[in-house]
Formats: sequence, structure tokens, C-alpha cells
Amino acid sequence: MATQTTPKQATPSRVDRMRSWASETMIAGRPVIWYVTGWRFALIALILTILLPLVPYDVYPGIQSLVVAMTTVWIYVMLALGLNIVVGYAGLLDLGYVAFFVIGSYTFAAGTFGQLHDWTGGGVFPVPTFPMIWLIPIGALLAGFFGILLGAPTLRLRGDYLAIVTLGFGEIVPIVFQNLPTFFGNLGMSATQPAPIDTPFGQITFTDPLNNAPFYYLALGLVVLITLGVAALRDSSVGRAWVAIREDETAAETSGVNLTRTKLLAFALGAFVGGIGGVINTAFVPSILPVNFNFNVSITILIMVVLGGIGSIPGVIVGAIILRLFDVYILGLINDPIHQSALVAPATAPLHFLANVDFNVMKYLIYGIVLVIMILLRPQGIIPDARRRRELKGIGAAPEDMSAVGLFEAEEAGADIPALDNLDQTAYAGEGSDAQGRDS
Amino acid sequence: MLTLATVLSAASTDGLPILFQQIEIGVTLGAMYALVALGYTLVYGIIELINFAHGDIFMWATVIMLVVVNAMHIAAPPSNFFALIGLLLLLMAVGMVVSGSLNFGLERFIYRRLRRAPRLAPLIAAVGASFILETVAQIWRGSGSYAFPDIFPPSGVSIGSLRIPVLDAFIVFMAVGLMILLDRFIRMTKIGKAMRATAQDPEAASLMGVNVNRTIGLTFLIGGALAGAAAMFYNLYVGQVWYLTGFQLGLIAFTAAVLGGIGNIYGAVLGGFVIGIVEALATQYLPNGSSWALAVVFGILVLILVLRPSGLLGQQVPNKV
Repeated sequence: MATQTTPKQATPSRVDRMRSWASETMIAGRPVIWYVTGWRFALIALILTILLPLVPYDVYPGIQSLVVAMTTVWIYVMLALGLNIVVGYAGLLDLGYVAFFVIGSYTFAAGTFGQLHDWTGGGVFPVPTFPMIWLIPIGALLAGFFGILLGAPTLRLRGDYLAIVTLGFGEIVPIVFQNLPTFFGNLGMSATQPAPIDTPFGQITFTDPLNNAPFYYLALGLVVLITLGVAALRDSSVGRAWVAIREDETAAETSGVNLTRTKLLAFALGAFVGGIGGVINTAFVPSILPVNFNFNVSITILIMVVLGGIGSIPGVIVGAIILRLFDVYILGLINDPIHQSALVAPATAPLHFLANVDFNVMKYLIYGIVLVIMILLRPQGIIPDARRRRELKGIGAAPEDMSAVGLFEAEEAGADIPALDNLDQTAYAGEGSDAQGRDS
Repeated sequence: MLTLATVLSAASTDGLPILFQQIEIGVTLGAMYALVALGYTLVYGIIELINFAHGDIFMWATVIMLVVVNAMHIAAPPSNFFALIGLLLLLMAVGMVVSGSLNFGLERFIYRRLRRAPRLAPLIAAVGASFILETVAQIWRGSGSYAFPDIFPPSGVSIGSLRIPVLDAFIVFMAVGLMILLDRFIRMTKIGKAMRATAQDPEAASLMGVNVNRTIGLTFLIGGALAGAAAMFYNLYVGQVWYLTGFQLGLIAFTAAVLGGIGNIYGAVLGGFVIGIVEALATQYLPNGSSWALAVVFGILVLILVLRPSGLLGQQVPNKV
């Protein structure tokens, strides 16, 4: 904590060296730092992600599995952005976010399958089917509706009660789906994959297992839309009301913020985005197994938010990308080879025990450790919220106050990175200000 | 209300004996829930933190007890009465030490560092700690559940058609004994007084010479030890050792604590018994009841929070600014 009062000039840190390299090296007449700052970095990253599915098989044979992995990454980025509205902006801990994901999932399954069982599980009754384009808003609205239904009575309560109520809700919703014969109970449902869509440029098929680009672009497009929407909300009067509530409920209320309505809006919008994620995920997978909707999903999304930076859009996106890529891609890459080589190795070999380690279970241990370590050592996340940092710089808070501000504080970011006066800085902050920035 | 109506209509058709038997089961479950709920309420009362990891501390006590019993190669009730008592005392001590020290460690190494952080920070850390405890148990013991050997003799007393197993009576007797002990401790001893003072105002308490850190640590230790005792009863009664038992039971016990009025130890006891009875009745009278029991408990939680957020015995306290 004391480091932030004493600017360090003595030895240039790795971050400083990286920064001077970035401002001295020129590409096409501009320094590197020009390209990796703010919206330009976002643009370059977006162009690269748009180009990803176009990489030919000959160049990289694993491209299809990477595209599949990246599609699920975008789905989780959506979910993390949605949860960030609730946790990051309004400061409400939602531990049952999976519930809204479930509602979106079942909306898609029911809305394409065409029939459901009746209450007893005996007969079936028809359900109108919709194209995917319609099911996205329908699922989102349904999830948002349930968000309001849950939030309206409980949001008057203190924050930590809300955490438990949402946790309970996240447990109940899957239990309801598991036990109701209407939704095929424990067996879950298999959705019909979305029908091809005719466009002026030709037909887009979503069912080709060898070409996952349509889903990839659909998910990416939604991520862009949601990001823009969330950013607009954050900078609106509603966004400022959220932050006011997060900082001090009593003060916000005295200043004329309607607590219940403002919190409810955050909660409903978070649920709305969660519903979109559920719809897209089921359209992509396309089957539902209710046992898979558990607390682990809610926690995984929460960790994405905490890891990236609570309340920071670029942070949350990066957090979700890191965690999801680790999950679906890197873990998949290491799990099988390690198991195989460990099985082949003689039982006396020092690493033989790895054969019995399931890395898919181990990952939750890593997640838990990441959560605790981040909260203890770097509560502001990998890429801290820019507004938050600006506030801290602006008011020149004393160190004691800084520690009290805690969770969202830019603990040393203010000391590490000069001239943090606008949002544009977030991009290169992400390059260097992680753990290695703490070198002195 | 719907639940109550279902229960009453079913009770009139199935007859009272089943109802009484379910209430007996509910009281036994409730005694265990109350012990775990006390841990939540003690911690919440003193530092206003929902200790999410509390249920997992309970789970760890059940796991370690199973390991101890297996290491001693005990698979059946000891024939000698004194051997049985000795074994039960040993297991209870093991459980209390394991969960007490785990809870103490969590406070010492995680929550204490976050005491001045915003509310969300310790809460998220607690969720993370709970996740770690669960996953370590899962990695160590596997994802399946293990049966705890039946070390308690299956004898019981019948009153009419109502059957009261000795085990149930033992659990309720011991649990109530521990609760009375806790009450005496908090009310009569100097440390208990320090705990009450810290709960009221930590700063003022420290000005009066109370070692606040030690008092908070001790509260975690006591809360954890109660969960450890509950873990032994759970092992004897339910007998399923599973890495997720703590998660579910923790949620139920938390509901009990909120029902009674969180921060109030009498409320936690009352809430524990009420929730236990409700769960037993729901299991009996709802169609496919056991799979809905948890949903019913949560329904109750939401209803209390909406209708009477301060709980049955809690008082309306203004938010601290």
C-alpha cells in the first residue's frame, strides 16, 4: 500500500522498459504504443478475431477446434459481461447467475423442439417453434423477467443476503427443470439446430460440423453488441447511479437514487444477457443436461469477472477469454497427453501419479485459488476499471482510504502507469500491469 | 402455505403416526442444522460476514472422521458400552478439532486481511475458500460418496406407533447440551463478554482492552467446533461422506440462521429445528419429496427475507453507516 505514495524512478521496471520499447519502435510511421492503445487496440483485436475462422486448414490443422473453442469463449464473454453489470456496476453479488443461463437454454430447446410433456409426464403438447433469431430476444426477455421476479422482493435487502438468495435461486432453477417431467426431467432435452438462414449473399448453414464460422460470427457479433450496450449504459445516468449505489447505498439514496429500481434494472439486465448466452449455447451444443447447470458455472463466471477486473469491460472480456481458453482448449490439450504418457510410464516413475489426476477437477481448485489470491493481492483485477482509477487519482485519496476502497481500487496502477486520464489507457495497461508490474 | 396445506391434507389421510414420525426425524435433523447454523450466526454476529466455507468445514470433519474410523478398522458398533462412548468422544473431538482449526485458519489467513475491505471482498474470498475446500476433498476422495460405517447400535424405543431410535435421542440430547454450554459460555465467561462487546462495536471493545483479533479468531474456532460436532452426528445419522454434503447442508443451515434472525444464537437454534421439521415433512408429503426438499427450503428462505428480513427472533437494526 505504501508504494503508491513513493513514485519509483530508481530502477526501470519491466513495465517501464516495455513501455519505452513500445513508444520507440515504429510500425508504418507510428509507434507501437499508438496501435495498442484504447479503441485502436480493440479494433485490431476485433479484426484479428474476425479473421480467425478464415485461417485455412493447411496453415493450422487445429483451426476448426480452435474456432469451436473460441465460440464458447465468446459465449462466456457474454455471460461475464452480463454478470459484470450486476457485480461490477451495481455491486450486488449474484451467485446464481447460472439460473438465467438455464432459462435461456431451455427457451431455445423448447422453442425448437416443438413439443413438451404435460405436467404428469404422460402426454405431449405442441409448443410453437421459432427461428433462432426470434428465440434470442425471447430467451433474453424470459430470463430478464425471472430476474425481475426474483429481484423485486429481494433487492431491498442487504447485499450479502442477496448473495444467498441468488445462490438458492441458482440451485432451485436447475432442480425445477430436473424434476419437472414437462422438460423431460433428468434426461434433459436435445434442441434442433437452427435452420439455415437465407441472406442476399447466399445461404448460411448452422449445422455443418466442418464449418463453425457462422456460429462463431453470431457469438462474436453478439459480444460486440453487448459490449457496446454495456459501455453505453455505464456512461449513462443509470451507470452513474449504479456506481453510486456500489460505493455507498445510503449516500446514493439521500442523493435521490431510487435504490430498488436501479438495482432491479442492473439485475434484470444481467439476467437478460445471461438468457442470450443460454440461447446461443444451446443452439451451438445443441443439447441440455440439467446436471451440468450447477454452482460451478456461476462461480466460473464470477471468477472471470474478478480475474479480469470487477467493473472493467476490457478486464472482464480478457478474464473470460483467459479462463475459458484455459478450460476448453489448453486443459484439453494437456489432459490427454499427460494421462497417456503417465499411463505408459512405469509405475515407479516419479510422475506416474499424474495418471490419476483429473485435470478437469483440478481446474476448480485452480479457480478457487485464483479467486482468493486475486481478492487478497490484486482486488482490482488484471485490467482495472478506468473510471475507478481516474477517481482515485482525481481525489488523491490518502493511503488509509485506499485500503478501505479495496475491491475496485487501482492499488498501484496509479503509481505504475502515468497519465491515466482516459479510457484509452486500458489496453496497454493490460499488457504490463499484471503480476510482473509489482516488481519493486 | 401451499406446503402446509399439502402436509395437512396428506396428514389427515395417512394418519397422525406418520406425521409424528416425520416430526421426530425433523427434530433430529434440526438439531444438526442448528449446530451448523450457530456457526454462521456467531461469525455473522461478530464480523457481519457470511462464511460461505462453513459448510465445507463441516464436510471436512465428516471426511476426516471417516478416515479415522477406517484407520481403526471399525465397521460395526462396539459391543462394550464404554468402548462405544470412548469411540464417540474420540470422533467428536476429531471433528471439532478439524473444523475448528480449519475455520480458525480461514479467518487468520484470509478474512482477517480483508476486514477493512468492502463487503464484497471477504464474501468473494469466502466463496473461493469454499470452492478450494470442496475441490481438494474431491481430488483426494473422488467424486463418489462413501458410506460411514454404522457404529451406533440400532436399538430404539417405541411409544405406540412412534419409534424413537436411541441414536436420535443421543443426537438431540448432545446437541442441546452443546447449545446450553455455548449459551453459558457467551453469557458467563469473560471471553464470552469480549465476544459480545466485539460484536457490538469492535473499536470500542478494543479501547476497553479486548483483544479483538483473538476474540474474532476464537469465535471462528467455536463456530467451527460446533460444525465438527454436527459432522459426527451427521455421519452417524445420514452416513454419506461426500465432497458436496457441506455445500447443501451449509445452505440449509444458513437458511435456518436467517429464519431465526442471523446474529442471534437462540434464533439459529429455533430456525434449525423449524427447517429440520419442514424438510422432513416436505420429504414425506410432497410427491417425489426428497428431490424437492432443497427447493422448499429455499422457497422458505426467500419468503422470510421478503416478509420478515430480520428473522423470527431478530430485531430490526438500522444499517451501520
